[in-house]
Amino acid sequence: MTTYIIALVLGVFFGFSLNKAGLTKYHKIVNVFRLTDMAVLQFMMSGLVVSMIGVYSLRALGAITFPNIPATYIVGNLIGGLVFGVGMALSGYCPGTCVAGGGEGKLDYLIPGLLGFLVGAILYGLTYQLVFPAISAMANYGNITIPKLWNVNPFLFVTLFAFISILLFYLIDRAGLHRKDNNQ
Amino acid sequence: MKKMIDYIKKEIWSPYVAGILLGVVGVLAVWLSDNLLGASGAFENIAGSVGKAIAPNLFDNLYFNFIMPPGLTWGVVLLIGVFFGGMLGAATSGTLMWGKKGSANSDAQWKRIFGPQIWKRWAIAFIGAIILEYAAGIAGGCTSGLAIAGGMLLAPAAFLFISGMFASGIIIARLVYGKRY
Repeated sequence: MTTYIIALVLGVFFGFSLNKAGLTKYHKIVNVFRLTDMAVLQFMMSGLVVSMIGVYSLRALGAITFPNIPATYIVGNLIGGLVFGVGMALSGYCPGTCVAGGGEGKLDYLIPGLLGFLVGAILYGLTYQLVFPAISAMANYGNITIPKLWNVNPFLFVTLFAFISILLFYLIDRAGLHRKDNNQ
Repeated sequence: MKKMIDYIKKEIWSPYVAGILLGVVGVLAVWLSDNLLGASGAFENIAGSVGKAIAPNLFDNLYFNFIMPPGLTWGVVLLIGVFFGGMLGAATSGTLMWGKKGSANSDAQWKRIFGPQIWKRWAIAFIGAIILEYAAGIAGGCTSGLAIAGGMLLAPAAFLFISGMFASGIIIARLVYGKRY
């Protein structure tokens, strides 16, 4: 029961952050691909920097062990990402932001979005054995992390990632790429 | 204090502030319940539940029995929370769309480019959503479960996924927007 309550509360904060970052708006998602508003990238990368520091520090302190690390199989991860970007640019959402946008009462999120995910999930589940074993067998590294793969200290990598992110944020803000949208 | 409340009420926060909140939520998911954030996986659980109720034979396969078994998983409950989180966020800025005019075709930029027809927005969004969920299956997760949750653990998969997503997203946006890009 407690674990469900935690899931619910974390979900609320997760959806809240998506809403406040503006990711529950079609134009915010599409405009990152048009390179006219980089909020999606700024949001994702600052989230990554904070969570990387968090989980690696907690693990070093012995407070947590890592749950199942998402598996790396180069061809599938890359093709999946390529196809995913198509869906994102067309619909202007991804599964999480669509649910949060549905909560805001947007019917173009709630109905075609959720129905589409269900249809996609059914199609995937029914064709799983035809597609997944073959594609995930190619260049499969299993549940690996970059520090393990390259044999570097994770904190070195996290520091590097944080540094690159901050440099990128500085460049984005300086270029004024996240200029105020005059459409909304 | 008043400043903070005023900030919370803003419709759009700085993406950095919202990103920090996202990061904290991602860490707490691991710390408090040994789970990763995610969204696409929950739809597989729901699809399994619906499918098994309607056509049990068809859905009696390896995937829906063992890989993504149906039921009220941690991820499904998280997703219910996300729904209410979006609602709460919009409520604090007074931008809830429930029952409002324009809620069926909610974005001004979309309407300006593609017109006000609801069927058009819904058809393209529906196809887009099918593509998103199928692609998330192949990749091993979506923007939350793979890009954010995998990225924070420094899984190479996450960065491959993000690269692919931006590459094709930019191309498709360019194609869709054409001269208006």
